[in-house]
Amino acid sequence: MKNKHLCIISFLIFVLLTGCSKKELKVPLEDVGMVDSMAFDYIDENQMRLTVAIPQYSPDAEKDTQTFSITTDLVSSGIVEIEKQSDKKIVFNQLRVVLVNEDFARKGNVRKIVQHLYRNAEVGNKVLIAVVKDNAEAILKGDYPDKPSINFYLNNLLEPSINTAFNPNTNIHDFMYSITNPVVDTVLPYVEKRGEKLEIKGVAIFKGNQMHELIKPEEALVIQALSGQKNLAPLHLDLNAGHGEEKVMIDLIESSVKKESNKNMESPKLTIFLKIKGTLSEYKGERESHLFTVESISDLEKDVNKQLEQDISEFLARLNKTEVDPAGLSEEFRMYHHGKWTSKKTRELIRKLDVKVHVETSIISTGTLK
Amino acid sequence: MNTTKGKVLNRYHVIFLAQSIMIGTGILSLPQKLSPMGYTQSFMPLLFGVIASLTLFAMVWLCSKFPNDDLFRMNEILLGKWLGKFINLLVIIQFIVFSAGIISNYMHLIQSTALQEQTITMPVLCFLLLLIYIVSGGIKSIARFCIMTFFITIGLFYFTRWAIEKGDPSHFLPLFNFTPKEFYEALKQGYFSILGYELILFYFPYIIDQKKAFRHSLIGIWISIFLCFITTAISVMYYSEWQLKNVEFSVLNLFKAGEFTFIERIDIIGITLWVFLILSSITAYVWCAKRGMDTFLKKKKQSYQLYIIALIIFFIVKMPFSREFQEKLFMASNYVGYVLVSWPVFLILIYVIRKKQVQV
Repeated sequence: MKNKHLCIISFLIFVLLTGCSKKELKVPLEDVGMVDSMAFDYIDENQMRLTVAIPQYSPDAEKDTQTFSITTDLVSSGIVEIEKQSDKKIVFNQLRVVLVNEDFARKGNVRKIVQHLYRNAEVGNKVLIAVVKDNAEAILKGDYPDKPSINFYLNNLLEPSINTAFNPNTNIHDFMYSITNPVVDTVLPYVEKRGEKLEIKGVAIFKGNQMHELIKPEEALVIQALSGQKNLAPLHLDLNAGHGEEKVMIDLIESSVKKESNKNMESPKLTIFLKIKGTLSEYKGERESHLFTVESISDLEKDVNKQLEQDISEFLARLNKTEVDPAGLSEEFRMYHHGKWTSKKTRELIRKLDVKVHVETSIISTGTLK
Repeated sequence: MNTTKGKVLNRYHVIFLAQSIMIGTGILSLPQKLSPMGYTQSFMPLLFGVIASLTLFAMVWLCSKFPNDDLFRMNEILLGKWLGKFINLLVIIQFIVFSAGIISNYMHLIQSTALQEQTITMPVLCFLLLLIYIVSGGIKSIARFCIMTFFITIGLFYFTRWAIEKGDPSHFLPLFNFTPKEFYEALKQGYFSILGYELILFYFPYIIDQKKAFRHSLIGIWISIFLCFITTAISVMYYSEWQLKNVEFSVLNLFKAGEFTFIERIDIIGITLWVFLILSSITAYVWCAKRGMDTFLKKKKQSYQLYIIALIIFFIVKMPFSREFQEKLFMASNYVGYVLVSWPVFLILIYVIRKKQVQV
């Protein structure tokens, strides 16, 4: 009997309480605009131009991508402004690419905007970051008639692929990791628009929070090799070792690197052992007709070693002079240093650093033709 | 389901009770809590394990002197009826606030990452209902739940493999690179994460093989310590020192390193499975609080205390105080947890002094 009353009362309470509930504002999936790409352009110290690209799935729309641009001082207030123009609710769950233009990278605060995205739990870890030449807005708004849409194009371009393995594929975690880590300087791919195509022109190296210089893909490949990347992009070399001018292309490279430091902060010395294993895919030069025997191949290997050692040493010497350390060479010294490590120490160390490079190339095959 | 009459816990129950209660929300932010030590933190959990083993020894020694009594009875026997009852009341309040702290922490996590547009009232209610269901089954049902939890959630470790691949083992060096002050900070903030094993003071009377209880609990503790160690070690490899300090739930960001084409956010899977870990620790605390309330009641075998506890927890979690006050309250209850860990040592002293008078 008692239970019956209890049941009736609780039933009544539940029915009446529904009146007190708030109407929930849930956005249906069709009304969600998932940002795929964002672009930041530098205006001045306080202002930036924010552009977002959202895929448009409605068959009635003429274009398959919606783009919105706004001039703003904060990322989130820019998004609020964009929501005023948009028919959809802007969310970042599918964000894939963030572009900043070169001016922004050199003068603005890239770290601040990336940190803002890193803080946002909606944003996944697959967001790739790149620096673009001139105007980032123009890239998102450009026409690429033979591509499905700018979002797919950009994302696929920046994703890891073996022929662009010099590309550091910096995602949001890598960026935050390297920019906050005193032993390594950030590297970002550098994209340029050429007519209806985009091209990865090289790699932008940061010094602290600002972009410092642009390096060529060949040099970027060295950074990738030295920071321990296993598979490298095809390596193109110009040899000049007593056989006239020769051109060599080594493909399908597997590399391994070992670094040994003398653990001395005052006169730092670093020896790098780089092992490269690959296929000789193309050769042009004097020795072309002799390259059948094992001996001649091993001769060629020696020449390649010498050339690589020279190139890498020159490149590192240049970097060391400008006190940037994108390959994280100073980590070899931090490992043995007691006390706090600061980026100032990295700069001092890298300026004094004396690097010796040993390269060991082995050409495992020359293809199936004799 | 068996009710807790007499001795019910076999050795697997003991192992996994110790193991699962220790792992709650603590491990999620352990790398961040230990961040004052920078990269050297990876070996801290092992040190915690040693401390935990020592304090566990004191607890089991004390319990073995009173094989049929839990801490509430021991307090009354050793400190006298009134002082003992007062201490017991504090312990009960501590457990309730501590559980509320864990739930609030977890709900905060859910709200900030998974369900940003919802209020937490409904999730908290569902959670408490489950809690009541498990606790009313008694300590054995909690122990069984703990075993299940372990085997369900251990698979989460698979999701850290990308972080290991990307990580840099050179971060472990140099060893012992910290100042005493940093060490103290890390010890103070990090040790909460492995609290929980002290509950053996309360379920010891239910253990069948009391002579081996120490060994079994030790196994449980070291399983947890090992998991904590793996967590901090992977975090150290994967993050920079700045990230260790500033990423709040670093373990979830470790999951985010994952690369499945068909799942955008693996961390959500982690968060949702984490509810098992939270439940397994809180049920034990609530069970202890309920046992404590029993000692204040004349008529035993009532079940309404459990509902009262659940209500109190609900109000603490949803209380209309400022976030700051809540944080301070939960922080304070964490520090009281330290007192509880060292409490047996104090009781042992009293026991040695009053040995003649309290001989059972």
